Amino acid sequence: MAKVLEGPGMGLMKKWGIHVPHHAVVTSADELSKLGHANDWMKQSQLVAKAHEALGSRFKLGLVKVGLDLTGAVAATKDMIGRQVGSIMVSQVIVSEMIAHKEEYYCAVKSTREGSEILVANCGGIEVESNWDRVKRLCLDVGQAPSHEALEKLAKEAGFTGALVKKIADFAGKMFSCFDNEDAQYLEVNPVVTRQSDGELVALDAVTLLDGDAKFRHPDWNFAFAAEFGRAYSKQEEEVMAVDSKIKGSVKFIEIPGGDTAMLPAGGGASVYYSDAVVARGGKLANYAEYSGDPPDWAVEVLTEKVCSLPGIKNIIVGGAIANFTDVVKTFGGIINGFRKAKAEGKLKGVKIWVRRGGPREKEGLDAMRALKDEGFDINVFDRNTPLTDIVDKALQK
Amino acid sequence: MSILANKDTRVVIQGGAAGVNAARRMAEFCYLIKRPLNVEAFVYPPDAGKSNEVPYGSGLIAIPVYKTIAEATKNHPTINTSLVYIGADRAMKGGMEALDDTHIKVVTMITEGVPEKDAKILGAHARKLGKVFNGPSSIGIVSAGSCRLGVIGGAFDNLVLSKLYREGSFGVITKSGGLSNEIIWICSQFADGITTAIGIGGDAYPGTDYVSYLEMFENDPQTKAVVIVGEMGGDLEERAAEWYGAKKRRVKLMAVVSGFCQESLPKGMKFGHAGAKEGLKGEGSARSKSDALKKSGAIVPPTFGALGPAIKDVYQELLKSGQVKEPVEPASLPKLPKSIEAAMKADEVMVTPLIRTTISDDRGDEPCYDGYPASELINKGYEIPHVVGLLWDKRLISKQEAEIIKRIMMLSADHGPCVSGALGTIIAACAGIGLSQSVAAGLIMIGPRFGGAVTDAGRFFKHAVDNKMTVDEFLTYMKKNHGPVPGIGHRVKSLRNPDKRVKELVGYVKSLPIKTPCLDFALQVEQVTAAKKDNLILNVDGTMAAVLVDIGFPVDSLNGFFILSRTIGLIGHWVDQKRQGSRLIRLFDYLVNYAAPKRREVPPLK
Repeated sequence: MAKVLEGPGMGLMKKWGIHVPHHAVVTSADELSKLGHANDWMKQSQLVAKAHEALGSRFKLGLVKVGLDLTGAVAATKDMIGRQVGSIMVSQVIVSEMIAHKEEYYCAVKSTREGSEILVANCGGIEVESNWDRVKRLCLDVGQAPSHEALEKLAKEAGFTGALVKKIADFAGKMFSCFDNEDAQYLEVNPVVTRQSDGELVALDAVTLLDGDAKFRHPDWNFAFAAEFGRAYSKQEEEVMAVDSKIKGSVKFIEIPGGDTAMLPAGGGASVYYSDAVVARGGKLANYAEYSGDPPDWAVEVLTEKVCSLPGIKNIIVGGAIANFTDVVKTFGGIINGFRKAKAEGKLKGVKIWVRRGGPREKEGLDAMRALKDEGFDINVFDRNTPLTDIVDKALQK
Repeated sequence: MSILANKDTRVVIQGGAAGVNAARRMAEFCYLIKRPLNVEAFVYPPDAGKSNEVPYGSGLIAIPVYKTIAEATKNHPTINTSLVYIGADRAMKGGMEALDDTHIKVVTMITEGVPEKDAKILGAHARKLGKVFNGPSSIGIVSAGSCRLGVIGGAFDNLVLSKLYREGSFGVITKSGGLSNEIIWICSQFADGITTAIGIGGDAYPGTDYVSYLEMFENDPQTKAVVIVGEMGGDLEERAAEWYGAKKRRVKLMAVVSGFCQESLPKGMKFGHAGAKEGLKGEGSARSKSDALKKSGAIVPPTFGALGPAIKDVYQELLKSGQVKEPVEPASLPKLPKSIEAAMKADEVMVTPLIRTTISDDRGDEPCYDGYPASELINKGYEIPHVVGLLWDKRLISKQEAEIIKRIMMLSADHGPCVSGALGTIIAACAGIGLSQSVAAGLIMIGPRFGGAVTDAGRFFKHAVDNKMTVDEFLTYMKKNHGPVPGIGHRVKSLRNPDKRVKELVGYVKSLPIKTPCLDFALQVEQVTAAKKDNLILNVDGTMAAVLVDIGFPVDSLNGFFILSRTIGLIGHWVDQKRQGSRLIRLFDYLVNYAAPKRREVPPLK
């Protein structure tokens, strides 16, 4: 799942015929002033300026300013750019026209096992969140497009009347086109409003989640995906992602500040069981990591270096199930090199290493790990006869 | 019995290298269970018409590659299953092609990173046709003792350790590939092993869910219990719980779910497989799944580690109630033949080498010349002539000797376009021939009359010096036994028009504090021969030969110095012609003396 920020999200909606407010994403106040000279709407409308980052609660943080003229928007932009919120530095501001409106509505399309679901409510904003029963759904099978009749029926069910029925049905139809054609996993507009100047429905906000796996057939996705958990990726995480994008197989790394148990397990499935075991034992995870699909040794080495560099760690869990085709000697070779490098840099002092693994060439791989003892590593090595997560129990024993 | 994959399963594999690798793993399994290979064909358009070789035991089986599924099933009508290894961007097309073929009933997609929409379309299409679409991101399917689809089960040793050569009583369904193997192993250690294990893939919307397979297991009398390895995200585990709780089931359901760590992590932090994501309102969490499964009556051990003992309990109950009997292990199992490399490593075989080398070895991280690593030679200031010394004469030559060789090479690197070698290369270059062949055309010219007299000159001068011959004795000996003295004489150079290269080399060598018996002898020979005829001078071949013998190079290596040096020039000529865009050339008639008989009538054939 790949989150897309508001600017490019609105761009995709506009592509499928949905009215969106005039907007511009800028990286400096200067850029906005220059755009202001060329764009009449910036001079003529009231403006909203918002920090264009994957941040929650922007309103509370003072990163949304409304009712501005161009001078006010330039000042607001100047104020927001460069502000540090947690790990995220505001580097972009989205400036859009304010749309005068009275009523607010809700429309969303989400992915389901069968296909998708179109959601419509005749209230919007915060009101819809406290009145979820007013949201009406139209379920669709994959490959099935909604008929206009079905959409009008949905609008009527949601309580729309008169001319609005056709307009909402039309809007929802365009939302579906956007969802279907852009390989979206979730699209939400809250609120949808009637623009007083011309009576058209306009999407005032856009939540857009796309299927990152479909990027190959969307050459016009010229935007970066945003981090999904309310913070920016760290430099270390980005470096591992860069490696991941280059290799056969995968390496993953996410830091969790404050933890003392570092994770270096194999497998997308087993890694989560290892994390569960740490939490169940009352331990504190210092990171999430995973390598799988027989990645090259150098990629595992990079991952190992990152894990060894985590501050304040006491244990490293080098766990893994019995691999199908990931070569244990090769991938352990990468881990061993990473350990050696870390040790040479003065890291891993007082850190205990726990290993459990099976798979192709497991004996040689485990023997190589055991041999690290002679180099002064505090390492404990177990084979397939020790159940998967027992090394976590041993590591976290008080 | 088993589900989905059995002794009648015949497979087409869609894809390239990854598919061939899977076929090899499948062949290992077939060999273990003493059954013929179940892979009938590959479909991979770039290699259509060729065949892929798959080792089976100690032999090789050639499996044909087709352009389309239709061609494959037409030629192999027993095919009923497809394994898809095609890249994510083309996987849907490939999967559809397989589903639409009437012969194929089961399609398992191994490809990872397939767009969600494509997976849904494939799943829906299969359901419409009443077929099974398993995956994407599946590790495969294995039925103990009868059929392996994909690499599930791992290496050959693991197949044996996990007792996959015979049926057990436990069905396995997992999202994770690595954990499927782990559970198969656990079932074999804590119970009697598995019937069928299925990887359904870790995507958000796999083509087939737990319930479809639970139904199949329920109808398979051999399967007594099913183990599900679940993950947070989606609602597949809840559906399984719903199915299990709906009515009394014959099979026992056991399950573990991962993702409890999510409760104590920053919200929205995504781990593991693509499908492992919690819903916006907490649905699909590990806890809600685990609770639902418990409520339905399934056995849900608190941790993954507790799964083994739980499986053991179930198995003991089955034994006690007489529903299963202790399995009988086969007396012997086939052993996978070792590769020569592995057998040699284990000191099990001795192989007589085909060739022997005494000069170089590049099996390490860099080449070693006569034992010296190339990088160390570079870093300690050695140069090309030293490498020549190591590879041609297996010794580290001195700085002075290296300087002599360098000068010889510089003096012999080229001699203009008119000489036989360069002309050969130039003609070839103009005919559009490639670099290596054109240079070879030039090198072919090197022989007794052009450049190739160095070795012979060295041999005879050395013979004379070794046998302490006088110049007269030597010339008599040569005249009697061999003819003209190699290294003496030049087509255009003479006493009055001396070869400057010779002068230069002789001058340098004579200025050094070294003994040069061969060179001295050669110069004495020249005195005599040049007095007889002006152009019977010591030529560059002869000079090089004498000097190289004097610094200890073996006679047989001497032509090499000319070949090596002149290759520099020949490459230069080829590049030069290429750079100019030279066109095809031919001799002009006026450069040919047509001495053939005049045109005449052909007599009737007798």
